[in-house]
Amino acid sequence: MERRQLLEWMVATGGLTALNRLSASDLMAMGREAHAHARVHADIVASAATVPALDARSAAIVTAAAERIIPATDTPGATQANVTAFIETMLSGWYAPADRDRFVAGIGELETRARELFTRSFVTCDPSQQVALLEKYDADVTTLRTAQDATANAHWFAMLKYLTVWGYCTSEVGMRELLHTWPMPMRYDGSAKVGA
Amino acid sequence: MSREVTTYDAIVIGSGMTGGWAAKELTALGLRTLVLEAGRPISPELDAREHVPPFQMPFRGLGDRKHIDARQAVQQKSVTFDEMSQQFWTDDIDNPYSTSDGRRFDWFRSRQVGGKSIIWGRQAYRMSDLDFGANARDGVAVDWPIRYADIAPWYDVVERFIGVSGQKEQLSQLPDGQFLPPMALNCVEQHVQSRIAAKYGRERVLTIGRAAVLTTATNGRAPCHYCGPCHRGCSTRSYFSSVNATLPVAQATGRMTLRPHSVVRSLVYDATRQRVSGVRVIDARTGVEHAYSARIVFLCASAIESARLLLNSASPRFPNGLANSSDQVGRNIMDHIKWGGATGQIDGFDDRRVIGERPNGIYVPRFRNVSTAHADFLRGYGFQGGAGRGGWEAAVRAPGLGAAFKQRLTAPGPWSMSFAGFGEMLPRETNRATIDPSLKDRWGIPALHIEAQWSDNELAIHRDMGVTASELLDAAGARRVRAHTHGPSTPGNANHEMGAARMGRDPKTSVLNGWNQTWDAPNLFVTDGAFMTSSGCQNPSLTYMAMTARACHYAVEQLKRREL
Repeated sequence: MERRQLLEWMVATGGLTALNRLSASDLMAMGREAHAHARVHADIVASAATVPALDARSAAIVTAAAERIIPATDTPGATQANVTAFIETMLSGWYAPADRDRFVAGIGELETRARELFTRSFVTCDPSQQVALLEKYDADVTTLRTAQDATANAHWFAMLKYLTVWGYCTSEVGMRELLHTWPMPMRYDGSAKVGA
Repeated sequence: MSREVTTYDAIVIGSGMTGGWAAKELTALGLRTLVLEAGRPISPELDAREHVPPFQMPFRGLGDRKHIDARQAVQQKSVTFDEMSQQFWTDDIDNPYSTSDGRRFDWFRSRQVGGKSIIWGRQAYRMSDLDFGANARDGVAVDWPIRYADIAPWYDVVERFIGVSGQKEQLSQLPDGQFLPPMALNCVEQHVQSRIAAKYGRERVLTIGRAAVLTTATNGRAPCHYCGPCHRGCSTRSYFSSVNATLPVAQATGRMTLRPHSVVRSLVYDATRQRVSGVRVIDARTGVEHAYSARIVFLCASAIESARLLLNSASPRFPNGLANSSDQVGRNIMDHIKWGGATGQIDGFDDRRVIGERPNGIYVPRFRNVSTAHADFLRGYGFQGGAGRGGWEAAVRAPGLGAAFKQRLTAPGPWSMSFAGFGEMLPRETNRATIDPSLKDRWGIPALHIEAQWSDNELAIHRDMGVTASELLDAAGARRVRAHTHGPSTPGNANHEMGAARMGRDPKTSVLNGWNQTWDAPNLFVTDGAFMTSSGCQNPSLTYMAMTARACHYAVEQLKRREL
C-alpha cells in the first residue's frame, strides 16, 4: 500500500521520470556492492533469537491481560495486533535479565491471585474478573507514580501496560484501524481539521 | 586482471558532506580524482529505510538495545540515531577514542559512502560578517582570513545545486540565500510567529527552518513527500546528501574513482618537493596496505578525523604531525551548546491537527549581541523548535484500562510549542585532540584522546536560552511555560564538531590560509569543518560545502599556473 501510494504520488508530480533517469546514473560502481547492510540485520536477528521468556501458559496469560488493557471494540484489540509476540521479543532480546524475570514473576503472581480469588486460571476468568484483578495492579502503579517513586516504571504491571500500548500502537492493525497513522499520508498539512 | 591505477590528479579523503563536493568540483574541472572512503558502499535504492513501518522493525523503533549498548555506546546518544539509522553510524569498539574521567565528549562518526551527510539534520544557514568579524572584534583567538563577500558567491553555487527551501527575511546576521519555496508553518507556529512579531518587531523573528530538503523538483531529484525520517536515507533523493546528489554528478564525468573500504593510515610528505605526494591506505576488509599518489590532496574526513590523520602523519620535517608547524592541529575544537530553551502550551487550536511529517522546524535567528551588547556573554544563539500535539505516546504511563483507555490513545494532546537553543562556542586552544599513547583502532591506527569543555561564556549563553525562550512563549500567550531545566548538552552532542585545523592570516598561529590550503604543504587542502576559525551559532554544513567548492576552484587555478 505504501509503495503504491508513493508511486501514485510520484506519477502525479512527474517525479517518476526523474527517478528513472537517476537510477541509471546510480548504476555506478559505488552503490553496487551486494547488501553490506544485510549484515547489520543479521546481527539484529541473531541477538534477538535467544531463549523464549514466556512459556505457553504465561504467554496465554499475557495475551488475556493485554486484551483487557486494549480490548476489541469496533476496532481490533491487543490480541488481533499480536501484542504478545512483541512482548516476547522485548523480554528475550531487549530487556536485561532482571527486568525479564520480574515481569515473568509478576505474571505468576497474577495467576496465583486469580486462583485464590476466583478459583480458576486468569485465562478462564470472565472479563469482569480479569478487569478487577488488573485494576488492582494498575492502582498500585498509580500509587507509586503519585508518590514519585522511581521504581514505578519497573513494576511488572507498568511494564505490561507499556509494552501492550507500544506494541499495539506500532502494529499494523493499530496504526491502520485505530490511529489512522498508516499508510503514511505522503503530504503535509499544518492546519487540518481534527477528524477529517 | 588489470593493475589498479595508483596515480591520480587529485585524491579526496572522505565521501561525505565535503568530500562529495570536492569530488564533484574537481572532476568537473577535469581532474582524475580518487575518492577514498573508509566505510562500505551505499546506494539510496538499497539502503534507504525511511518507509519501513515500525511493525516491520524487530524492536518497533526501540532499537536493538543489547547490540547498541555493546557496540554503539557513544553513537546512540545522537538525536538522529534510531533502529533504522543505526546502520549509518560507526561501531565504537572498532573506532575508539578516549576522554578524561568526567569530561565526556560525544564524537559522532559515520563510515560509509555519504558519511554523515546521510544522517545530518539538513538545516542550512549562511554565516555573516557578524560571524566572520567576531574574533577580531572580540579579541578572541585569531581573525578569520575571509569575510562574507568572499564566500557569498559560493553559498549561491551550493544552494542552487543542493536545493534549500526557506523564507527570505532580510536579516543582516542571517543572510538570505537562493531559496526554493519554504515549507509551511503549522497553524500554531503561524500564531506564535505573529504574536512574536507584534511584540519584538524585527529584533526577534520566527521563520521556517532553511532546510536542504526539496520543495520542488531540482536537478533531477524529487520533492519531499513528508514521510519524516530523512536520516534513514531517502529513496526519492529529496534531501541533500552526497549519495543523493554530488557523487552521482562526479561519477557521471567518468573521472571519479570511488574506493570504499579504504581506511587512510597517513599522508606521505615529500620533503624534497615540499609537497604531499600521496596517501597510505589500509583495505578495511583485507588489511592489505595500498599507496596512492596525486598532485593535490583534499582532506574531507570530518573535522576531528582530519586532525587525527595529520597528527598520525608525522615525518622528520614535521615531527609533531603534518602541516602542524603552528602546533594548532587538533586544537580549538568547537561544537554548539544545546538543551537550553522552553516549552509552553498554546490554547485555541483544539480543532486543528497536523497531517504528515515535516522534516524541518522553525528557526529564530540570533538576536543577542547583534545590535546591542549583552552584559553576560559574547556571541549568541539561535532557536530551533516547533509546535505539535502529543499522541498515544502520552498514554503509555497513564492510568486506566479497557475501552475508555483505548479511546484515549486516539485523542490528540494539547498543542505545545518549544524553542531549543544552539549556542556559539568560543575557540580555545585547550579544547584539543591529541594522539592517545596506547589506544588504537581496529586497523592498528593510533586513536585520539579528546579534551573539550564548555567555558563560562557558553554556560552563560545556555542560561540565557531559557530566559528568552520563556519570553517568546509569554509573548505568544502560552500557558504553563516551563524553561528547560536539564543542564547543557555534552560537548560534541550537537554533531557540529569543528575546528582542529583552523584558518588564519598567519602561518605561526593557524594551519590553513584563507583558501583552505595548509601553510606547510601547498598542495594539501582541508575543507571539512576543521577549518572553522569560530563556530557561529548556525548549523555549519552549508559553510563547509561552500568553502570546499571555493577551495577546489582555487586549487585547480593554481595547478594550471603550475604553482602547486
